[in-house]
Amino acid sequence: MGGDPLLSAPSDTLGVGDRVELAFPARGDLVVLARLVTSAISARAGFDIEELEDLRLAVGELCLLALQGSDRRHGDLRLEFRVSTDSIDISCTLEGAAPALTARTADGLEAEQLSEQILSALVDEHGREQQDASARAWLRKRRKGPAA
Amino acid sequence: MTQGGDETPAPDSDMAEHEGAEAEPSRLSEAEREVMITDNLGLSHQLARRFLHRGEPLDDLVQVASVALVKSVDRFDPGRGVAFAAFATRTIIGELKRHFRDKGWAVRASRRVQELYLELGHATSALVQQLGRNPTVAELAAATGSSEEAVIEAIEAGQGYRATSIDASDDEDHPLSARLGSNDSQYQAVEERALLAPALATLPVRERAILRMRFMDGLTQSEIAAEIGVSQMHVSRLLSSSLEQLRQQIRDDDEVE
Repeated sequence: MGGDPLLSAPSDTLGVGDRVELAFPARGDLVVLARLVTSAISARAGFDIEELEDLRLAVGELCLLALQGSDRRHGDLRLEFRVSTDSIDISCTLEGAAPALTARTADGLEAEQLSEQILSALVDEHGREQQDASARAWLRKRRKGPAA
Repeated sequence: MTQGGDETPAPDSDMAEHEGAEAEPSRLSEAEREVMITDNLGLSHQLARRFLHRGEPLDDLVQVASVALVKSVDRFDPGRGVAFAAFATRTIIGELKRHFRDKGWAVRASRRVQELYLELGHATSALVQQLGRNPTVAELAAATGSSEEAVIEAIEAGQGYRATSIDASDDEDHPLSARLGSNDSQYQAVEERALLAPALATLPVRERAILRMRFMDGLTQSEIAAEIGVSQMHVSRLLSSSLEQLRQQIRDDDEVE
């Protein structure tokens, strides 16, 4: 075969450098949107069924992390998907939400820790940044499936 | 049994919980071991919940996760400098994933989606009758006892979208779909032409010309009439008689065979 499978992929798949954005109101019940879009994009980027499930699961955790410690009644979650030669980068940013007035609870911290542990088990790299009112969580997963 | 790397331990041949403990005795006392397990049952429970949307009952998932927790307690080596929670999370997620893989999840899920898609078809017609309008996804989810997400997924799948495999290809200009068979309408045409050819040959040249103008060039009877210098009525009669002659000819051929 040889050659980069993504560069020689059928035209309806996502190619190297393709970027997709999805923004929706920061509500837990809408995280389903993030998961559905993740499935569609990862599938087109050549990830296999299991990797796709890992990514769906991981994106849910990204959203949870971005939502942590914020007043989530306002603001949007913005997801950005970027496909590169052998991996996919997904970031989730909470925009336009004020930081929560109350300090984080022990439960909240525990939940964050769990999400990070789950991400460690599912993806190759992940991290988070906090900047004023915007929290950002990101992940990178490399492709191991048959298309790689 | 040796432990390789600090990745999730390699899967055993089965779910023998005590195997690890016997092969590599735990440094924990029985009491410590028990405390560690009970303290982390919440973790295994929460991780099991993360896999709920895949269509397995929570109880089964919790069981798999708890067995995996026991495994991770028995295998945990504090000397490696990895926090237990991180180690256990990896092991438990690994086991949950393996649970789905061993059960042939990919196949099952797609069948589940297909079944749901069919079920949605029935539910939709029933709800249209009942409501006098098209049902919403929420109504379909309630009617089929599935989550809204599953319904959306099934609809999506039913509309031809499927994960990687369906249209994956190693050839840039030829996606798999291009190689899938379909009924080629041209075959029918070829067959009919083959049948017609001998019959056509028996017709006079003028009649053949009229048939060609009518059916291949798409001219109207009046246009044909103008072309060959006869009345439209005459063209009509010639067409009918030619067609009748062709039918007769084909019937005769059929009987001979």
